[in-house]
This record gives sequence, structure tokens and C-alpha cells, in this order.
Amino acid sequence: MIVHVWGLLFNPAEEWQSIHEKKYDIGKLYLSLFVFLALIPPLSGYIGTTQIGWQIGLGEAVKLSHRSALAIAVLYYLAILIGIGGIGAMVHWMAKTYGSQQPLPQCVALAAFAGVPLLLVGIVQLYPVLWLNLLFGMAALGLNIRLLYLGVPVMMEIPPERGFLFASSILGLGLVALVAFLAGTAILWDFGLSPEFVR
Amino acid sequence: MQTSAETYNDTVVRQFAIMTIVWGIVGMTVGVLIAAQLAWPVLNFDVPWLTFGRLRPLHTNAVIFAFGGSALFASSYYVVQRTCHVRLFGGPLIAFTFWGWQSVIVLAAITLPLGITTSKEYAELEWPIDILITVVWVSYAVVFFGTLVKRRIAHIYVANWFFGAFIIAVAMLHLVNSAAVPVSFWKSYSAYAGVQDAMVQWWYGHNAVGFFLTAGFLGMMYYFIPKQAGRPVYSYRLSVVHFWALVFTYIWAGPHHLHYTALPDWAQSLGMVFSLILLAPSWGGMINGIMTLSGAWEKLRTDPVLRLLIVSVSFYGMSTFEGPMMAIKTVNALSHYTDWTIGHVHSGALGWVALISLGTMYYLIPRLFNRELYSLKLVEVHFWTSTIGIVLYITAMWVSGIMQGLMWRAANADGTLTYSFVESVQAMHPFYIIRFAGGSLFLLGVLVMAYNLVKTIAGAQAAEAPIPAPAPAH
Repeated sequence: MIVHVWGLLFNPAEEWQSIHEKKYDIGKLYLSLFVFLALIPPLSGYIGTTQIGWQIGLGEAVKLSHRSALAIAVLYYLAILIGIGGIGAMVHWMAKTYGSQQPLPQCVALAAFAGVPLLLVGIVQLYPVLWLNLLFGMAALGLNIRLLYLGVPVMMEIPPERGFLFASSILGLGLVALVAFLAGTAILWDFGLSPEFVR
Repeated sequence: MQTSAETYNDTVVRQFAIMTIVWGIVGMTVGVLIAAQLAWPVLNFDVPWLTFGRLRPLHTNAVIFAFGGSALFASSYYVVQRTCHVRLFGGPLIAFTFWGWQSVIVLAAITLPLGITTSKEYAELEWPIDILITVVWVSYAVVFFGTLVKRRIAHIYVANWFFGAFIIAVAMLHLVNSAAVPVSFWKSYSAYAGVQDAMVQWWYGHNAVGFFLTAGFLGMMYYFIPKQAGRPVYSYRLSVVHFWALVFTYIWAGPHHLHYTALPDWAQSLGMVFSLILLAPSWGGMINGIMTLSGAWEKLRTDPVLRLLIVSVSFYGMSTFEGPMMAIKTVNALSHYTDWTIGHVHSGALGWVALISLGTMYYLIPRLFNRELYSLKLVEVHFWTSTIGIVLYITAMWVSGIMQGLMWRAANADGTLTYSFVESVQAMHPFYIIRFAGGSLFLLGVLVMAYNLVKTIAGAQAAEAPIPAPAPAH
């Protein structure tokens, strides 16, 4: 299944076709690929924030305590896995509106494979300088969005114009999920789960 | 079917439509300049009237009242005539609303850089200008409602309900919040004191968002999206339900601007609860817009303006979800006073307000001059530059805002602050550059649009549109 990852990066249109034909079930999708791919961002983040840290001004590097970074990494990991499934479920829920009859696993596969660039770029969190991460993240996000727009018509078996609308709705939903994630994080911080800094 | 010899008054619509583009460019250019000043303070040039503090209110007034206001005047005058099948009411008052509103804008552009300000956010203009605004606004109401009164269609189309609510609410907000005691021609003090003044200001401020920047633009959405898509509104019942829910709920949400201040706690909580409820009517409108557009998917291949409208309604949905989240007191404790707020405002202002207005202008301007749009390719270019610009802008502000919030609240074991304020300022620098890039891209899109429209109408005659006779059912 890992070959799809390279295919999506270099030859996305054909790769979506091949993913579509394989008709993976959700268990296989997660167990043979995404539980591993989803490890990249939290693991890199954990190593980056505890071992390397970041610098503000001329001060010494700021790091996170192991305990705090571990808690964040675990929540981060779970959020990614749940996020993929959740977006897949929302795609399934909206599919009828856009004239598609695809089963849930196809929708989850769409959500999961479209997110591959963002998962891979998680590696830059090894060097946790925010603006640098943001720039790489934006590039990956651009690729991610391109994959989504290419993938929707193929995976959902609908005409490209209709796919454009569907993909836009998914993107809107993704933004809403992101904002909910931000707000949720802020609430958790306020309940005493805020990160511990070491310097 | 007979057609009467009478025509619609599109002169005033044309004037406002063209000024929408002009003020859009002016306001956004000032925005890009002040974004650059935040990244590179040397651009303040040590000239008082070019400093951030004076140009920022100029930017907000120019984009909200000059750009957004002109778009609202143009679209409401166009829509009310088309949906009532009559020429505008009011004779000389019509032209007065145009020239009066432009004078207000010019006066703002002169007084704000000079430092003449009431210091009330989005209500900075001093009392003589406020009086002029009142006179223009009352004339606007007379023209709009006068036209409604003499309508030849019994039913009042939902877009007019939104425009009407916007006109009435803005009149009320402006009169109450701008009440002041003048001490000289260019200086006055607010009629209210202390926390009451703050509460009146944010009752005004939030409803400027709710009625000026939302209700009016929803009126635009309900006419121009069905028109551009060539199909009826998805659910007319939903549009009426969400109208009443929206106008009832918005008016209570203001206190969320004053979380953790001297405002009584119960008032803060009330504001938070109403802000959360507001999600429902907002999404009612969003769903109606998206579903109307969704039915027109076959037209997407040939019509890039539809894409612009889809993105605008999507950003409306996103920012009206973000707003209630940020109104939750726990989230607000982190987000308040940070760049997260600026990002939120711009996902609404650039994503929703500006794109729906620009989409409307793409519909309106060629028709007002009886021409076809010069280039669809350029609309596509505009679509991409503006979308990428907005995304760059808001992601930069999310990251920098959360970073600011975390840095400000970080404390050492002994209770001292971990970071000095200036350290947080320094940490913002890269994000301010990204924001500047995003804003510049958005402005570039508007310039491309202006070029496209100039090419469209160059040498064209103003079109005269005859008023059709109402269908017998009416």
C-alpha cells in the first residue's frame, strides 16, 4: 500500500484511479498504512520539542518537558487518526447531496490518502521553528488540496464540475474541523494541560 | 406581455458599483501598507500622518464603509428595483445618497490621518461627520423603503428583508453609539462613561459586523447567487427562518468583545451564550447559499464567477463557526488581544464580504454597460490569487495568535512571566511577513479584476433597462 504514497506525490491522477479500484476496507487502510504514517508528525514533534527546542530572540533554546511533550504527542496522534475517520464519515454523509453512492470505506480512503502530504511534511517538526514549519506546512497543504480536488471525482465517481463543489465543501469542513481543534486545544490548556516549558 | 416605457434608475447603481472597485483598491492598499509597517516599522517614515495608529482606522473605514458600503448601496438599489418592478423612489435624494456618502468617505480620509478621532473603533469619525452620515442614511432609508412602498409585486423578496434590516439596524446603532457632547468643531466626548461606554461601543461594534457586514451582504447573496447560478434559492422557508433568527440573536452578542473586563460577569456570559446560539442562523444562511450553488454544478466549467461565490459562502461558514468558538470564555482567555482575532476578522472580511461583493460586481458591471465580461481567464486568475492570499493570511495569523497567547500567559515556577512583551513581538516577525504576502496577493487579485472590468466597459454606453410588466400571478 505504501506505493500509493509515492504514486500520489508524482502521478496523482493515475494513483487515485488505482486506489479507487482496490476498494480497501477501513481496517486494512488503518492497520497496514495509516497507523504508521500518522506517527510521523507526533514523533517528529516529540523529538523536536524535547531534544532540539526553539529559540526566541537571543535567549537560550526553549524545550518542552518529556512528560508534557509525550502527552501532547499522544493526543496529537489520536487526533490525526480520529480526524481521518471523522472527515471520511462527513464525506460519506455529504455524498448523497453531490450525487455519489460510494460506501464509507471509499470515503475514508479519500480523506486518508488526500492527507498524505501533510502527514509526510510532519517530519519538519524535528526542527521546531514555527515559521519554517508553517512555510513547509503551507506547501504540503497546497499539495493536499490539489490531491483532494483530483481525488474526489475519481473516488466518488462523479463528474469533475460536481467534484469541484464537493471538494470545496470538504475543504470548508476541514477548515471548520481545524478551528474546532484550535478551540479544543485552547480549552484543554486552560484546564491545566498547558505545555511545560524548560529552558 | 407589455413593457412599460419606464426604465430602472441604474445611474446611481453604476456610480456606486464603480466606486466599490475604486475604494476597494484604496482601502486594501492602505491595508497592505500597514501590514508592511507591522513587519518593517521603518515604513512609518517618522511622519505622524503615515503612522500605523492613524492609518489603521483609515484602512478599516475605507474597506468597511467605503468599499463595503458602496457595494451595499449599489446592490440594494439594483435589487429593490428588480424585485419590486418599479423605478427608485426619492428623486434628488437618490443622487444625494451617492454624493453624500462619497463626501463622508473623503472627510474620513482627511480627518483620520490628521489624528481627529473619537477613538471608538469603527466609529472614529467626529460629530460633524456623524451628522452628515445620519442625514445620508435617513435619505437612503427613504429611497429604499419608499421604493418598497410603491412596489408592483405584492411579495417582498427575502433579499429586501435583509437590506431593510441592515438599514434600520445601522441607523439605530449609529445614533446610539455616536451620541456625544461636542467641545469644539473637531472634538467631542462620548455621552456614556466607563464600562457603559465600552458596552455601548461593542454593542455597536459587533452589530456593525452583524448588520453592516452580514445582513446586508446576505441580501446580496440571496439575489446574486440565484441569479448567477440560474436557479431558485434552495429553501425559501429556510431563508425566512434564518432571517428572523439572525436579527434576533445578533443584537445580544456584543459583550463577547469584553470578556474578563470590568463588564459584569453575567453580561459576559450572556454574550457568550448568544454568540454560540448565533451559529445556527449563520449556518442556515451558509447552507442555503451552498445548496443553491450546488445545483448549478454544470455551469462551473464555463463560469469562474461561481467559484468565487462558492469560496465566499464557504468562508462565511468557516468564520461564523470560528466566531462562536472564540466567544467561549475559556478560548477567549487565550485568543483575546492576539492576532487570532485579526485572522478571524479577515477570514470574514476578505473571504466572505469582499468575495461576495466582488462576485456581485462581476455580475453587475457588465450588465450595467450592456457588455460581456472581457476575460473569463482573468477571473480565474483572480479566483486563485485571492483564495491563496486569504489562506496565507489566516494561517499566519492563527499560528502567530496562538503563539502570542501562549507566550503572554507562560509563567515561571516563581510566578514571574517567562517572556517579556518585546520577545513576543520579535517572535511575530516572520508571520507578519507572511501576512503581508497574503494581503498583497489579495490586492493583486482585485487589481486584475479592475483591469478586467475597465477593459469590459471601455467605450461602452450606459445601458437603459426597461421595467418589465409584472407576471399576472402578482
